[in-house]
Amino acid sequence: MSLWSKWRKRAPWILHYNAGSCNGCDIEILAALSPRYDLERFGVLNSGNPKQSDIFLVTGPVTYRSRERLIELYMQIPEPKVVVAVGACTATGGVFRGMYNVEDGIDRYIPVDVYVPGCAAGPQLIIDGVMEAVAIWEQKTQALEEPFRLFGGMGTIGEALSRRNTLEVKDEQNHREP
Amino acid sequence: MSILLALLAPVLGALVYGFERIVRARMQRRKGPPLLQPFYDMAKLLDKRLVMVHALHVSLGVVHFILLWVAVAMLFLGGHLLLILFVHLFALLALVMAGYSVRSPYSHVGANRELLALLAYEPVLILVATGFYLTTGSFYVEEILTQSPKLGPLWMCFLALLLVIPIKLKKSPFDALEAHQEIVGGVEIEYSGAFYEVLYMAKMVEYLFVYGLVWLFAGDSWLLGLVLVSLVFLLVNAVDNATARVRIDHLLRIVALGGLGLATLNLIGVSL
Repeated sequence: MSLWSKWRKRAPWILHYNAGSCNGCDIEILAALSPRYDLERFGVLNSGNPKQSDIFLVTGPVTYRSRERLIELYMQIPEPKVVVAVGACTATGGVFRGMYNVEDGIDRYIPVDVYVPGCAAGPQLIIDGVMEAVAIWEQKTQALEEPFRLFGGMGTIGEALSRRNTLEVKDEQNHREP
Repeated sequence: MSILLALLAPVLGALVYGFERIVRARMQRRKGPPLLQPFYDMAKLLDKRLVMVHALHVSLGVVHFILLWVAVAMLFLGGHLLLILFVHLFALLALVMAGYSVRSPYSHVGANRELLALLAYEPVLILVATGFYLTTGSFYVEEILTQSPKLGPLWMCFLALLLVIPIKLKKSPFDALEAHQEIVGGVEIEYSGAFYEVLYMAKMVEYLFVYGLVWLFAGDSWLLGLVLVSLVFLLVNAVDNATARVRIDHLLRIVALGGLGLATLNLIGVSL
């Protein structure tokens, strides 16, 4: 926790990558950034540079050609980062499922935090997905900041960083609220 | 008062930048981010894990920011105009060296373009400063600000400065040095986290530098200064929203011929 932790999650910068999508979802992402839906009112910038991004918006089933680049881009985003899979293809392969040159979904290669359904996913849904990603982003940061014992303890680095923990924290919060 | 302004230059610049993002959004009929968005960006960037390419790259970025801050502070404290321009030039050279010090080709292209743009607009800025000397008899900002507005005799220099402003603020049509869709930010591509925040602040300080130069044309008239700065602010943003990017060689031609031509004609006219 630091002085500015209250405001630190109001500037999610987006990296958008097309992993062999049909461009439908890409157009919808650009629509979400455009004046009508105005994602920028939440502080979102489409930075296009992995080193300066926080939220990784991926579209498309992963084609063989795009696998390495997908992983490389993911690795270049500094922690804490969140991955949003936009569209049906990224979740299951969508209409491309089972094709000879396609991996069915990006979660075979990188951990995904939010799945945005739809073919193509609408701008409203994408905005929803990004906002959900911002909530997960905050949880991930808190998980990173939580002290843990390196050796001999129950918590290992992997566990402290894992997605399962953040999910459990979230479930507890959801149960507590009502 | 001016010492306080000089010390708070990055904060002031951030407010200007936040306001500008709102204005640009309203021009496109959207809501836009909140006014304090640059500070939220800062909080976010300071929270990211630090990744650097090498120490020299980062320190040249810091040098760039500090020298720009010094230039703006000298402008606010009424320093020598030529000296201010040279400190500003030095700051940009630090950025260019930072661009060349990493292996990313985009960074190199960005640094090349930064140098080409320098070639185009630096003579214009120096001619504008000379214009102030010819009309007021002094290079000192302090002295210039005590005299009557020089917009009348220097109106062509003012137009030349208008050509330079979009380059300095990385605005369309002259944003080929940054070109986010094309070379992903140019020289700033390899900066991330807290180190990018330094460059981000440098960009905001640049706003104060440019609008400070605009303010000089108003001389001792505060009212004219405010009117000039807000008109230029609106004009630059309207043009940014309405135009596409020109290529770097076109930028060079337009600014070097147009800007230099206008400023030279003006100087000839003034000295006759």
